[in-house]
Amino acid sequence: MTALAASIDLLNSRDTFVDVDRWFASRGWRPFGFQREVWSAYRSGESGLIHAATGTGKTLAAWWGPLLEWLEETRDVVPIAAKKVRRSTAPPLRILWITPLRALAADTVEALAAPLRDLEIPWTLESRTGDTPAAMRARQRKRLPTALVTTPESLSLLLTREDVRELFADLRAVVVDEWHELLGTKRGVQVELALARVRTLAPAARVWGLSATIGNLEQARDSLLGGTHSRASSRIVKGVEPKRVIVDSLIPPIIERFPWAGHLGTQMVPQVVAAVEEGESAIVFTNTRSQTEIWYQAILAARPEWAGTIALHHGSLDRRKRDWVEDGLRAGTLRCVVATSSLDLGVDFSPVDRVLQIGSPKGIARLLQRAGRSGHRPGAVSRISCVPTNTLELIEVAAVRDGMHAGAVEARAPLERPLDVLAQHVVTVALGGGFEPAQLLAEVRGTRAYAGLTDDEWKWTIAFLTSGGTALTAYPEYARLVRDGDRYVVQDPEIARRHKMAIGTIVGDAHISVNYVHGRALGSVEESFIARLSPGDRFVFAGTPLEFIRVRDMKAWVKRASSVKGAIPRWAGSRMPLSGELAEMLRGRLGEASEGTYRDAEMEAVHPMLELQRKWSAIPRPSELLIERTKSRDGWHLYFFPFEGRLVHEGLAALLAYRLARLKPITFSMSSNDYGFELTSAEEPPLGEALAAGLLSPDNLVDDIPASLNATEMAKRQFREIARVAGLVFPGFPRAGKSARQLQATSGLFFEVFRQYDPSNLLLTQAHREVLERQLERSRLGRTLQRIAGAQVVVTSPPKITPLAFPLWVDRNRERVSSEKLADRIRRMQLSLERAAGKT
Amino acid sequence: MTGAVEMDAAGEELELLPDHAVFWRRGSTLMVADPHFGKAATFRAAGIFVPEETTAMTLTRLDELLIATGAERIIFLGDFLHAREGRAPSTLDAIEEWRAAHPWIAMTLVRGNHDVRAGDPPDSLRIECVDGPLIDGPFALAHHPSIVKGAYVLAGHVHPGARLYGAGRERVRVPCFWFGRDYAILPAFGEFTGLADIKANPGDRVWVTTGEEVIAIASVSVPQRSPN
Repeated sequence: MTALAASIDLLNSRDTFVDVDRWFASRGWRPFGFQREVWSAYRSGESGLIHAATGTGKTLAAWWGPLLEWLEETRDVVPIAAKKVRRSTAPPLRILWITPLRALAADTVEALAAPLRDLEIPWTLESRTGDTPAAMRARQRKRLPTALVTTPESLSLLLTREDVRELFADLRAVVVDEWHELLGTKRGVQVELALARVRTLAPAARVWGLSATIGNLEQARDSLLGGTHSRASSRIVKGVEPKRVIVDSLIPPIIERFPWAGHLGTQMVPQVVAAVEEGESAIVFTNTRSQTEIWYQAILAARPEWAGTIALHHGSLDRRKRDWVEDGLRAGTLRCVVATSSLDLGVDFSPVDRVLQIGSPKGIARLLQRAGRSGHRPGAVSRISCVPTNTLELIEVAAVRDGMHAGAVEARAPLERPLDVLAQHVVTVALGGGFEPAQLLAEVRGTRAYAGLTDDEWKWTIAFLTSGGTALTAYPEYARLVRDGDRYVVQDPEIARRHKMAIGTIVGDAHISVNYVHGRALGSVEESFIARLSPGDRFVFAGTPLEFIRVRDMKAWVKRASSVKGAIPRWAGSRMPLSGELAEMLRGRLGEASEGTYRDAEMEAVHPMLELQRKWSAIPRPSELLIERTKSRDGWHLYFFPFEGRLVHEGLAALLAYRLARLKPITFSMSSNDYGFELTSAEEPPLGEALAAGLLSPDNLVDDIPASLNATEMAKRQFREIARVAGLVFPGFPRAGKSARQLQATSGLFFEVFRQYDPSNLLLTQAHREVLERQLERSRLGRTLQRIAGAQVVVTSPPKITPLAFPLWVDRNRERVSSEKLADRIRRMQLSLERAAGKT
Repeated sequence: MTGAVEMDAAGEELELLPDHAVFWRRGSTLMVADPHFGKAATFRAAGIFVPEETTAMTLTRLDELLIATGAERIIFLGDFLHAREGRAPSTLDAIEEWRAAHPWIAMTLVRGNHDVRAGDPPDSLRIECVDGPLIDGPFALAHHPSIVKGAYVLAGHVHPGARLYGAGRERVRVPCFWFGRDYAILPAFGEFTGLADIKANPGDRVWVTTGEEVIAIASVSVPQRSPN
């Protein structure tokens, strides 16, 4: 639509927006232009994507379209003076509102309810998530509300209902909130598939997405609306500009010459406490859930009198605890909340006037989003103060500011046809009334994620669910799906039950609920953490010191412990890599430092450390690749510093280790971080020979990358998630008895068995592809190698471990590549002796 | 046998075979723990696909061991069948065929926890089934590791694996034979079985197997625990 046509359309529609204008005016507001644009577009049947900063009216832009539609439809209907809207007489399901976090559902319902109440619209409005009580679910099973706020998983569960076609008969719109959070994840693909289903069941329903501003909005729109939408009937609507944001740092009083590692960063507690005291109400963001626990304890230890007004918030805490914290923030009764990304989204906490970020911001967009949690008052400026947990992070803060000023925004790359999610969705559709394969294929290909799905991949997916996928053997006892006429359905009720349980577990590892012996649930931790505990062991969770008693009924039973000392649970998958945009800015800052230029407080602070780096080795320019060679008690170390982000480095480390190991039998253990990677070996690595033979060459990648991948366990690890989503392993179901135990196998075991006996299994192929495309960000890896190929290689032999190398040296999280016989390696090794506990 | 190791337990010489079994030459007995036949079929019956070739491979490996050792008897140390649901015709037929190829070999199953639920192997397989421990010479053959007065216990159940550490921050995890003071635990024989890390005591003897070679672990030490 042209700008002129759009404005004429706006003019024409203005008079019909009387209701909304009046409602806005009653709150002292006026609709923004972008909101009017959305309402007009909605009325003319369009779908689209709205992008704007948090707290700028996106929700009302999406919500009033359907409301106006209702008001128009019922203009001539005499309102029934009903005091209370009844479930039985309220209109059937019209609006689906998808939210990525169940924590957001309650707030969304509250925000959506206000206009319904004020305009006496007789709709029912409810949420349905994993947290919804059983009684409410039962009522919803009989009749859904007019507007339903739900999560991607709960939407998929709706699709398993046999009467799903009737349920969606009157559906007018689907709104997907925080679409940028879902995009690029398997849950996002799950939503794409569910929306394709919705388009089939309710072709007239419009789809609107709400998103933060990201670098690839067109792709985000296409993923939301599917490949089949016409550009004419969809649009991207830009909301209001974000507020002004100030990014600064709390500079440590003493700059250590060595970047200290990991969670030792609590040296900054006094400065953090002082910053919190400056404001009325503060959010302290950390990058991981464990950090949240650690900083909560540290702040409380520094200010014991704050007990009761300081809280912590992360995704593994029990919902009631999270609700309490959020309410406290809204009411302004909490002085300080330590949180993870669980507080990044949605909810508006007006009283918050101070935001701190512990550790690396990792990306420009993410830091801006977090900054936006403060300064919600009109005209206020958002400010975020970064707290380094190691000295090098100060450079990242300076780099983020550069990126912000340059207007750089990261893209979120969507996923390409993950077959595990497809397999899960196909079973979902089979439960929801069954499917005819050709029709479902067309529907699936209508999504952006599966537009390129090949016939072979589709056939394999169906075969995987009906006969196991191998043409050679027939297995009469196996069939997740069975044929019923021209349709595929699920017949075994046990398979149906397990599938429904598995839908909810697309994210995360196997979790186990943590419960007090006599009473309430505290939240959940990873099973692997609990598995390492013995009865009597102490650990800290939800800010509380606990003593582990035992595991029973898939729950970890605990009691309160007196001492605070104890292990802190770690949750996997929370380490985010540095974004490509930020990495580039970081290289720029180091380049300046190599010329002796130190701009801004952060760079001045790291001056001594970088000068030590220069003295012992070198500060790399953007046109250089620095390689450091050292020897320690552990063996030989090679450090490479491409500054490209951890994921790219993991791929590079595997590739270079593989190429080095081709020259002589040698075993490398590797660690990677956002700045570079380390290769450690017991014997001297043939670096000079390898450099001459093209160690850093971008040639032969097609062969070398898969080979190096096979040499590591990366694909095997990636398979954990795939096995879960494809329904091979179960995170354990409640009250599952002995019969479930005989179905226990690890994803690693499946991986090995498939690799050996079913190598054409496409889930294995997918694991490799995911490592290449997602984990290694293949395109970025390729670009990096091109860049390195043109770079000047600087090899130094520092007298000691340098400041840049130090964090890699202490990292124990390692991959391995070997060209030696396993037996030869074993002869060098020792068995670890666990403290004998008098039992096995 | 290539890659095997001879060792002494309870005054008897045992051969630890790379393919997850123990041969007691004086008793002409092959000892095999935890084959878990029908585990793949159990999963398939529940709608989880696992290829059947695991059964064929497990049986082929048993063939090779019988030929290589010339054993006249096999003792299964429990968990012969994985589950009742795993008694699929395809699985049982394959075992029948294998049994028919070795008509003269005596076979005994010391029942394990899985056998109790899965039921004994069909009579046609001619596998004598007993509850453990079964006393034979100085040994007590059992599924669960336990202490038997006056005998050294050979058991399964645990699916033992060893984590090894070395210079250059090396680390591997491999199946192992674990000989303690009162009992020894054999690695699991079945193809579709996992590993459980052992917690060895001072004085225990541990051999790991790469599948091709059995290697004694000379030193047992307390590794530095990582900070997490």
